[in-house]
Amino acid sequence: MPLFRHAAWLIILAAGCWLVLLLGTLSQGHSVLGLPANWPQWLLLLAQGGFAAGVFLYARMQPKPLVGHGFLPLLKRLFWRGLVLTILLVSVQALVQLAAARKLPLPGNATAAAGYTVSLALFIVLLAQMLYVWRALVSFRGSARLQREWLAFELLLGMVLLLQLFAWQTPDFLHIAVITGLGLFGIYLSGHQRWVAYLSQGQKAQAIMLQLSLLGFLTVFLLYLRGAQADAVIIAPPTQQAFLVLTAFFAVFYALAGLLVTLFNLPIADVYEQRRAEILSLQQLSQIIQRGQTAPEIYQALFTSAVQTIRADAAFLDAQLQPTELVSPLPAPLLHELTLADRTALKEQLVTLLSENQTELIDNDLARSQRLPGLSQPYGSMAMLPLRSLTHDYGVLVLLKKEQAGFDPEDLSILHTFTTQTVLSLENLQLAQEARVSQSAQDELRIAALVQERLIPKHLPTDNWFEIATYAQAAKEVGGDFYDFLHLPGQQLAVLIGDVSGKGVTAAFHTAQMKGIFHALMQPNPLAKKDRDRYPDPHRFMVLANEALTHCLERSSFITASFYLIDYEAGGFSFARAGHCHTLYYHSIKEEVSYFQSEGLGLGILRNASYGRHVKNQFWDYNPGDVMVIYTDGIPEARDGDGNEYGEDRLARMLGESFYQSAEEINQHIRRDVQEFSKGLPLHDDQTLLVIKFKASQPQA
Amino acid sequence: MKVTAQPADTTLTLLLDGELDASSAVVLDTELNKPELLHYKRVLIDCQKLSYISSAGLGVFISHLQRLQDAKVKMVFFNMQEKVFNVFEILGLDSLMTIVTTEQEAQTA
Repeated sequence: MPLFRHAAWLIILAAGCWLVLLLGTLSQGHSVLGLPANWPQWLLLLAQGGFAAGVFLYARMQPKPLVGHGFLPLLKRLFWRGLVLTILLVSVQALVQLAAARKLPLPGNATAAAGYTVSLALFIVLLAQMLYVWRALVSFRGSARLQREWLAFELLLGMVLLLQLFAWQTPDFLHIAVITGLGLFGIYLSGHQRWVAYLSQGQKAQAIMLQLSLLGFLTVFLLYLRGAQADAVIIAPPTQQAFLVLTAFFAVFYALAGLLVTLFNLPIADVYEQRRAEILSLQQLSQIIQRGQTAPEIYQALFTSAVQTIRADAAFLDAQLQPTELVSPLPAPLLHELTLADRTALKEQLVTLLSENQTELIDNDLARSQRLPGLSQPYGSMAMLPLRSLTHDYGVLVLLKKEQAGFDPEDLSILHTFTTQTVLSLENLQLAQEARVSQSAQDELRIAALVQERLIPKHLPTDNWFEIATYAQAAKEVGGDFYDFLHLPGQQLAVLIGDVSGKGVTAAFHTAQMKGIFHALMQPNPLAKKDRDRYPDPHRFMVLANEALTHCLERSSFITASFYLIDYEAGGFSFARAGHCHTLYYHSIKEEVSYFQSEGLGLGILRNASYGRHVKNQFWDYNPGDVMVIYTDGIPEARDGDGNEYGEDRLARMLGESFYQSAEEINQHIRRDVQEFSKGLPLHDDQTLLVIKFKASQPQA
Repeated sequence: MKVTAQPADTTLTLLLDGELDASSAVVLDTELNKPELLHYKRVLIDCQKLSYISSAGLGVFISHLQRLQDAKVKMVFFNMQEKVFNVFEILGLDSLMTIVTTEQEAQTA
């Protein structure tokens, strides 16, 4: 860590120079403290220059005084410093006067000379302070070019300081040219008063007072120094006149220019303030939007912002007037300085106005146009803005002013920005709401899928007479395929498979219905005399199911189903096919794969008693090793990338390849082939595949 | 899917072109829903260019079957491709609807 920072060196330099200057001034005509009298002039000038340079460079090295838009604190700080320096000056002068009056035993003009040197130092300090406050103000919002210009100004001032040392060597015209140039440069820099625009009206008044005070301080100093120059008592060395005069000139001129700019800014300050209010309103609007508030809050924000910014005498906002799209919750109409009767009258007239004008409307002479008659108070001008996006209407905003020609194009463009912003945010809100609804629909669908999953029998019937293997896959979240098993007393097994036309949720509903019908119909009939008659045979099952569905299936829907009643005590089964895919069968004695060819009409197609004629009961005796493959059309109608169908022939071939395996292995063999066939494609339709393999009877454990 | 209607004196012929699935079923349903349909004696469905029919497509015919029967309008399918006929057959519709091979048969069936 260095012993002294640079700033400390500057203070030491300034203090040293000032001491030399003080001693030199005191030594004019006398010998002081044993030093020789009448020091050479160049030494005094050098000391003075060194002091000025030290003070100015020190001020220059201070951290930037302007923080944010704190112009007033900056000016106030300068004011206090100026005040202290001026009080010091006055006190020093008072002391000098006092000393002169008391006739203190001091050599010659010692007190006056010392007072003068001190005052000069105070003046230089004041100028340095002011110069660098001015610098902060000049360069506020200034370009890089302006920074360079300021640096050039400082360098020139520094040169003038040096020039004075060699003043006797420079020709006059050059001297004058440089000084005039610098003066003009200072005037040019004084033109940079951007900061004034950032003051509010109250702040401007304060700024004017502060600048007046600063000018006052400078005047006091200048008057004193002028007097001192002419004072014969002080045989002072020539001051660094050019430098000081130039700096003082700039300081005064900048303060004066700032004062004038502020003064002339006062009458138009409200325009700036209105602009600020507009910007704030817009910010407020966009903040409300970002927080994703409700529609009423957005409408309220628009209403308040518009009324405040435009300074409307009355206003009306109705979200319900001709809305093509309901935003929810729908806000109540907003009124400003209007009665309920006004609102009713306005509503009527606005409907006609809106049908005539598709865009914004300004009427600056309502008295003549009579556009809005019947209001409780007379209004001179009106602005009407429909809140409209490309697709939707969100209501209308009406602003009223008592005076005529109250709205100009500028107002309209501001209002337009407001309404555009509002419409945007309302649309965003709506999108967000729709996303939420769709999300909840997705959730419902997932729940539906879970419910349907529960409807699928989890525990497959097991017995040592047969094996069953199942596979089911829905194309969407929920599907239209279904299957179920039911063990009946007397070693019977009921198997149902089916497919509801259509897909998705509607189809899924009907699968649940079918499951209900299945279990309701398979209740034992207590009146039956024989065991065999306790349960409906497949034909009767279909007829009853068709009748039940008549009442709950829409006209264009139908269900295909196959129902099997396997009696494994007798080693046979009866079945009926209602429009469902043909059953694929492996006949182990004939060693042959074939489809059962049978007739049967789908359920829900014919909704009268004649349905019974269109469905048939069939019987089959099976042998051990026979395999029955029951499926839905999603299997043979599975498609490959070229749109070809999987087909029943290929399905039959798969059974021919795998009939000797277990039911699960056969099922896997087929389903792997189907998956291979439509590899990488989304499922076209729901797929269900049941494989039942009959086995030789085995002794019961 | 394109549906072209060719009205004659007492016969309306509907030409189906393309795949009849859930999305195109609406087009056909609109056509069959027209009230003037009931003024004809026959509605002939030309299935020559019908390459595919889904359950939703079948549903359209099924839903209009009863209505046409009640109005004594005969609906006859002809020129049906084998693949499409199989779908009708599996569902058992061949026993319920009149499906013939040629247009001549359709005119007289």
